[in-house]
Amino acid sequence: MPSPDATLEIKTIASDAVPVRVRAGGAWTFSGLKAQRSQIEHGLAEIKKQAPQSVAWDLAGMVELDDTGAVWLAEALRDGQRIEARPRHREILRQVSEGMRAPREPVQFDPLAGVVWLGETAADAMVHLRDGIGLLGQLALDVAGMLRRPREFPLLEFSAGIFRAGVTALPVTMLVGFLIGIVLTYLSALQLKRYGADLLVINIVGVGVVRELGPMLASIIAAGRSGSAITAQLGVMRVTEEVEALSVMGISITTRLVLPRVLALAIALPLVSFCTDIAALVGAMLVTKFTLGITPGAFVQALPQAVEVSNFWIGIGKSVAFGFAVAFVACHYGLRVLPNTDSLAVGVTRSVVASITCVIILDAIFAIMLRNVG
Amino acid sequence: MVDVAHGEPVPEEEYVIEIEGLVNTVGSNTILHRDLNLKVRRDEVMSLVGGSGSGKTQLIRVILGLKRPAAGKVRVFGVSWDDPNAKKVRDARRRMGMLFQNGALYSALTVYDNIAFPLRERGGLTEEDIRGIVHTKLAQVELNPSHGKLLPANLSGGMVKRVSLARALALSPDLLILDEPTAGLDPDRSEGFVRLIKRLREDHRFAVVMVTHDLDTLFELTDRVAVLADQRIIACDTLEVVRQMDHKFVQNFFGGDRGRRALQHG
Repeated sequence: MPSPDATLEIKTIASDAVPVRVRAGGAWTFSGLKAQRSQIEHGLAEIKKQAPQSVAWDLAGMVELDDTGAVWLAEALRDGQRIEARPRHREILRQVSEGMRAPREPVQFDPLAGVVWLGETAADAMVHLRDGIGLLGQLALDVAGMLRRPREFPLLEFSAGIFRAGVTALPVTMLVGFLIGIVLTYLSALQLKRYGADLLVINIVGVGVVRELGPMLASIIAAGRSGSAITAQLGVMRVTEEVEALSVMGISITTRLVLPRVLALAIALPLVSFCTDIAALVGAMLVTKFTLGITPGAFVQALPQAVEVSNFWIGIGKSVAFGFAVAFVACHYGLRVLPNTDSLAVGVTRSVVASITCVIILDAIFAIMLRNVG
Repeated sequence: MVDVAHGEPVPEEEYVIEIEGLVNTVGSNTILHRDLNLKVRRDEVMSLVGGSGSGKTQLIRVILGLKRPAAGKVRVFGVSWDDPNAKKVRDARRRMGMLFQNGALYSALTVYDNIAFPLRERGGLTEEDIRGIVHTKLAQVELNPSHGKLLPANLSGGMVKRVSLARALALSPDLLILDEPTAGLDPDRSEGFVRLIKRLREDHRFAVVMVTHDLDTLFELTDRVAVLADQRIIACDTLEVVRQMDHKFVQNFFGGDRGRRALQHG
């Protein structure tokens, strides 16, 4: 049998010592209050205008009372003296009245909030830098230790890392490389055709892909794919206290978790980058065949003359550095995740943004340093 | 105030949970429960006991509608979870509160927002009303308003349980499901928690289904015990009756050293 709807009757007897008589009945619950909501709200608002001592309450007819009903009533009851109620309802009303009297947190305007935020952000950046340098130093010590005791090298994690970051990344990276190769060659060919410098397209695309685009594409995809995965994995390990469990067992976190991932990506990324180069050049070859009429054979023959081999090695060398940077940044953020889901989401986002930024900064540094090479 | 003793409201339904002929599988075809029947009355505390791996948690998941059974009928407040009337299902869900074993608090939300979350989701209340209810719930589980600002990561195990209980009670449920409510708590806190549940039941009159291995909690709170063994509920009766059963699990569970100790104290 459904509970009856809540009711509220108000009678005023002007001659009486307590002129306002209020009778509540039915189910004063969330669902019971729905039907007569506006009338009850209006009635309670009217009662609140009266002095508490001039209102007599009869709540004995209430068959049910939940927190919603109690909150509504408690606001109107305030310091009312004449209240008839069942003991259980009286207890609920007492608890809710106390709950509503809980002190409020004062909301204060802080004129220096902006300055404080700036200071905190700067301090946070310094903490990141300090921890990053610390992790790098620890990693260097671990590598030195590994050279002395190569048997302790976590080979399984390392090979798994190469497989995940390298082999499984190949399809998507090569597809992107192939498509970029097509777009870049097509646009370059359109421009160069106008000036009759058709053959230069091999120089432009060759150098661009091998020296810049291949490593950059591979690194950005690695940051989004492998970097985010590393941060999420280490972050979840932090949340579930697996990282702490390693420390307690006396196992170095950097040796077991950071080193294999950083080395794996530093080795896998040049290989991925190499495959991306090939895919992009195949794309370029196809476009030159159909737009400029350069045969694949002629393209392959012209490529070594157009692109010095140093460009290839620069591309590969940069990939090593980018791979290291992406995995290092991902590990750094992963190990800083706090035990809550929000921190994990923020950590992964920051990790991807920071590693892509890091790759671009490194690329700019390489471009300046190696401007006279190739 | 004047106390008035009146009759209590007429119950809406006699049983809050009705399970008939339940067949529950794990993986592709491993049968966990076979022809399982269970009924929980609206005014009782029913404890579900069974050995590890007997499928207590899986049964709770079926009751909660988190797992679809392979066969059989499961009705909570008379509503089947696969009822096409979404509103009916939603309303039935909102009449249940669940205390997960590890709290399952939203880690990114403060204690206050965790308790306010179901109230805000249900709608129909002002932020002022919600504030009143959240502080009432905090007080009911013996926490201070200042605890509202804390994040779950800053709470002790006992506090996580209490906040989780406050959240489970936020919508004034008619049925509270407790999964190992005292697991991970020291004896003092376990006892305090049991007292808390008892007191809340006196005030709010909700039915309780509880999975527990803690015999003290069992003896202290339970009206009826359902024993899950041999893929079904082999007994569902008062403690006194169940304890007399000639079944290996029952004899080991209640007749072992721990069982006897709890009986002496209970």
